[in-house]
Amino acid sequence: MKKNSAEKVAYGFIVALLALLCLSVVYPFLYMLAISLNDGADAARGGVYIWPRSFTTINYEIVLGNEVIRHSYLITIGRTVLGTVLGLFVTLLAAYGLSYRKLPLRSTILAYVLITMLFNGGLVPLYIQLNNLHLLDTFWVFIFPSLFSAWNMFVMLKFIQGIPEALIESAELDGAGPLRTLLQIVMPLSKPMLAALGLFTAVGHWNDWFSGAFYVTSQSLIPVQTFLQQLLSASDLSTVLGSNSNQEALARSAEMQNITLMSIKMAVVMVSALPILCVYPFLQKYFVKGVLIGSVKG
Amino acid sequence: MYAKFYKHRWQYLMILPSVVLLFLFSYMPMAGILVAFRDFQIGTSIWSAPWVGLDNFAFLHEPQFWTVVRNTLYISVLKFIFGFPAPILLALLINEVTHSTFKRFVQSVSYLPHFFSWIVVAYMLQSFLTLDGGLVNQLIGKAGGDPVFFLGSTEWFRPIVVGSGLWKETGWNTILYLAAITTIDPQLYEAAKVEGAGKMAQIRHITIPGILPTISIVLILSIPSLINVGMDQIYPLMNSANMEVADVLDTYVLRSGLQQGYFGMSTAVGLLSSVIGLVLVLGTNQLSRKINGEGLW
Repeated sequence: MKKNSAEKVAYGFIVALLALLCLSVVYPFLYMLAISLNDGADAARGGVYIWPRSFTTINYEIVLGNEVIRHSYLITIGRTVLGTVLGLFVTLLAAYGLSYRKLPLRSTILAYVLITMLFNGGLVPLYIQLNNLHLLDTFWVFIFPSLFSAWNMFVMLKFIQGIPEALIESAELDGAGPLRTLLQIVMPLSKPMLAALGLFTAVGHWNDWFSGAFYVTSQSLIPVQTFLQQLLSASDLSTVLGSNSNQEALARSAEMQNITLMSIKMAVVMVSALPILCVYPFLQKYFVKGVLIGSVKG
Repeated sequence: MYAKFYKHRWQYLMILPSVVLLFLFSYMPMAGILVAFRDFQIGTSIWSAPWVGLDNFAFLHEPQFWTVVRNTLYISVLKFIFGFPAPILLALLINEVTHSTFKRFVQSVSYLPHFFSWIVVAYMLQSFLTLDGGLVNQLIGKAGGDPVFFLGSTEWFRPIVVGSGLWKETGWNTILYLAAITTIDPQLYEAAKVEGAGKMAQIRHITIPGILPTISIVLILSIPSLINVGMDQIYPLMNSANMEVADVLDTYVLRSGLQQGYFGMSTAVGLLSSVIGLVLVLGTNQLSRKINGEGLW
């Protein structure tokens, strides 16, 4: 391709602009990483930008040694795995059942689902209902209310209807029941769609801090993001570490003097973000596809 | 008749869990809207609490409520004005990149922030903007200026919300536009080049008209969310110092309902915003029918 000099300048400008944009995304993580790996008191003096000046892993030792944080990790992992697997399955069952165009009452059921996308009771009536069902302050409050997703159901429905009907019919002629057809024909063909929707559901569970903050009160049920949210406005270290949950680290009181709230906070947030950073490269091909599948209609 | 249903018993069985879940978590809360018209306390039943008519709507006379409405509109309109054109612009820029490795790199990096929670973004903002040791204030100090209390000021709250919103979602929102650009027939560009059209002319006369349908769909779809500013983003950034401009409908409902226990009143506020949301969605659908000849459903 031939370019005149004005175009070359413009191209260089665009590349520089986009590079700057990437930097604005990457740099905050580098900065937080550097602060979290730096001696807290030293970092507070300023001047740490990309590389830790006084390297230490003490912040991470404290964070990973903290029982509250470790427990919140278990809660988050548990709800993410269970919520994603169960949620996808329940939603897929409904989408597959509704993909039978001749199903009596089909359009009534579809309307029943659609209405919930247009109107909802709001936060307080939902809260009252969760209370009536005795779901508040239990682990299940993270799972049940979000198990069925109307949006995902319509995406799945659309996708399943794109599978050649002859394939499904022939399976049924061969004597496969609907459940077997679903498991052996529809599900294998839906892998890319399930991967994409599963990814979005999992990220939603991983990042949800709201239900942990308002639907549970026991400290033992708090997910990582809710822990982070409570820590965000904390003003002293004891809020973070609890009174004596951290005997081992506290025993090293000489080192403790150099720990600041900020350096601990940065370590906690890095620990919570790291799993997403790690799986991100592998999932990339799925989510672009997922957005496009989801946007076919509308 | 019965035989027809029996024949599809497995399908109904598969749909059943979802129907039950929707009943429990969507339809029952819709019935719970009655709380807006009753004097309800937690522990009693929503069916037996005494009726109070429109007493719970007394907030309509409170100036504080209108401040909240104004804040909500202010933030959502600002987010729209900056947030709507940004991904189109970014997609046009990314599309101009001919170096494919760099192009892929830019895309991957710009999608990334979408996958982090607003809590993580709030930490990021705190690490840069906080008074004690935040990077920006350190730099301001070095330059001889006075530190600025960004996170606790009423003037900085809106720029921070709009800016962090752009930072987090612009890249992600380019996906649709980039996909739309790839469907444009390359022959159009060839023909334009033969006719002597420069890069800018090609963008104006081929690329933009080519993605116009996508632009109009995204525009239409974003109308209903105008009332929904995103509690997820606002709540972590809100504090007593910026409350005056930060309090929006969602946080108002949350505070008065779950935190202070005014269930009737905050249900009434929620009902009002649900109804406005519904009107916006239905109106949008009509609009879409008129423009695209097809509704959203």
